[in-house]
Amino acid sequence: MTGLDDPILPTSIAWGLLAAFSVLWVVLGWWLGRRNKTAEDHMLAGRNVGLALATATAMATWVTANTTMTAPQLALQLGVWGMLGYSLGALGLILFAPLARRIRELMPRGFTSGDFIRLRFGTFTWRVFLVVSLIYAFGWLVSMAMAGGVLINALAGIDYRVGMTVILTVCVLYTLLGGLRAVIGTDFIQTIIIIAGAAFIAWLTIDKVGFEAIHFNLMEERPELLSLLFPAAIMFLFNNLLFGVGEIFHSNVWWSRAFAFGRHVGFRAYLFGGLLWLPIPIVAGFIALATPALGINVPAADMVGPLVAAEVLGLTGAIVVFIVVFAALASSLDSLLAATSDLVTRDIYRGHIRPQASEQNQFRATKVIVVLLGLLTWLAASYRGELPIVGSLAELLYFTGAFVASAIWPIVAGLYWKRANPQGAAWSMILGSGLGLASYFMIGFYVAALVGAAVSLAVMVLATWLAPRPFDWDRLARDDTQVMGSPA
Amino acid sequence: MTISTTALSIIVVIATLVATLTPILLIALFIRDWKKGCLW
Repeated sequence: MTGLDDPILPTSIAWGLLAAFSVLWVVLGWWLGRRNKTAEDHMLAGRNVGLALATATAMATWVTANTTMTAPQLALQLGVWGMLGYSLGALGLILFAPLARRIRELMPRGFTSGDFIRLRFGTFTWRVFLVVSLIYAFGWLVSMAMAGGVLINALAGIDYRVGMTVILTVCVLYTLLGGLRAVIGTDFIQTIIIIAGAAFIAWLTIDKVGFEAIHFNLMEERPELLSLLFPAAIMFLFNNLLFGVGEIFHSNVWWSRAFAFGRHVGFRAYLFGGLLWLPIPIVAGFIALATPALGINVPAADMVGPLVAAEVLGLTGAIVVFIVVFAALASSLDSLLAATSDLVTRDIYRGHIRPQASEQNQFRATKVIVVLLGLLTWLAASYRGELPIVGSLAELLYFTGAFVASAIWPIVAGLYWKRANPQGAAWSMILGSGLGLASYFMIGFYVAALVGAAVSLAVMVLATWLAPRPFDWDRLARDDTQVMGSPA
Repeated sequence: MTISTTALSIIVVIATLVATLTPILLIALFIRDWKKGCLW
């Protein structure tokens, strides 16, 4: 447990906040989803989400507990480049903007990223992709649930398993009741809470401490944090960029939104979402640089944000941080639950188990799968120390780096390269993930994504160069509605 | 080579200003979409 000796928020207040926001999210989720009648309503919110909700959901989903808690930690450990490097995670959203437009054009009736891979590259590549995608999705789900338990424990002293169970149950409940409509609706409010809270704390830190004092004290005590030539920080920047792009390009979290956004909304929503997300890690991270000026002793680096907020604002700061963290966790967990249950429903249940499943069957299945996913996540997060790999948040996330990075090039080639070889796409993911994992264990966590992406690119290019396979793009829209289990 | 106080303050103030204006922008977009009937 990474908690502090003394929680910054009284447990009774934390329980009150947890209860109030849990009720709000669940009631809102039920209300938003009350008109869902089909699997398409539930999974894609009617396929006509407007710009405001689309931009907010892109931002909220990408603002995880990592953004609000790890950005200050990185600023404390890697200085200016730590917070600037984290903010470059926005490039993943920005670069996905043209892909979102192309996805919507090519597959106006598509449901999941698996649908695209199946129609574009065939069964073998589809199955490889599902393995890669589900490992990543489950890893992210478990890491978010673990983050919930750890942060609630650290902030308010509530037992890890109790906090984790509460946040997971709330997210499962409202995702179950309202599907993607509930996820997107709550994301809008959560985005506003997160950004307003982070900006509020930043302004007060600037006002109470000031840049002169922050700069002077850093120069005295931690001058390396102000250095623009900090090698470890520059390496982090590159690794983070690649990891973020891989996460967004392949994950059904982002594809399901591309299918759900209105026809001309996807490009602008991801572009605006990325541009507006860009400053958040700087705002959240900057406050960590004030620790020398404030004379704060930081016992656990990942708790520096809440510590500074509590120092500057007292109880109000602790409350603001708690609400922001809860909103950030919920906004990512709900999106993952919804998108992963869609992927399992469409690509595993309908794709492999019941190809003739009706709309109603899928509607029911997606709800059962959300609950099962929640239970599985709870089990893994409950017994985190006793499972292989699931040791810490960072270990788990870096472990998935090899998988996500190896999927970047098959996705890009699949969308834009007419002659991309389907077998090459499968082997680029297999070899990219395999060698990326080997480098994770043999060299270090920081090269897994890099090796995965490099090997994947080499295999994809080589296979297509040796054996090009021309593809008719119109087939994606034409075959979009074909019966599953009979791929191209 | 270290970042100056001025450069640090410019980066942070711009980022905080954008973050402050973002909720207002999102609410304005929400109202626009709602009035045009294209929220969902």
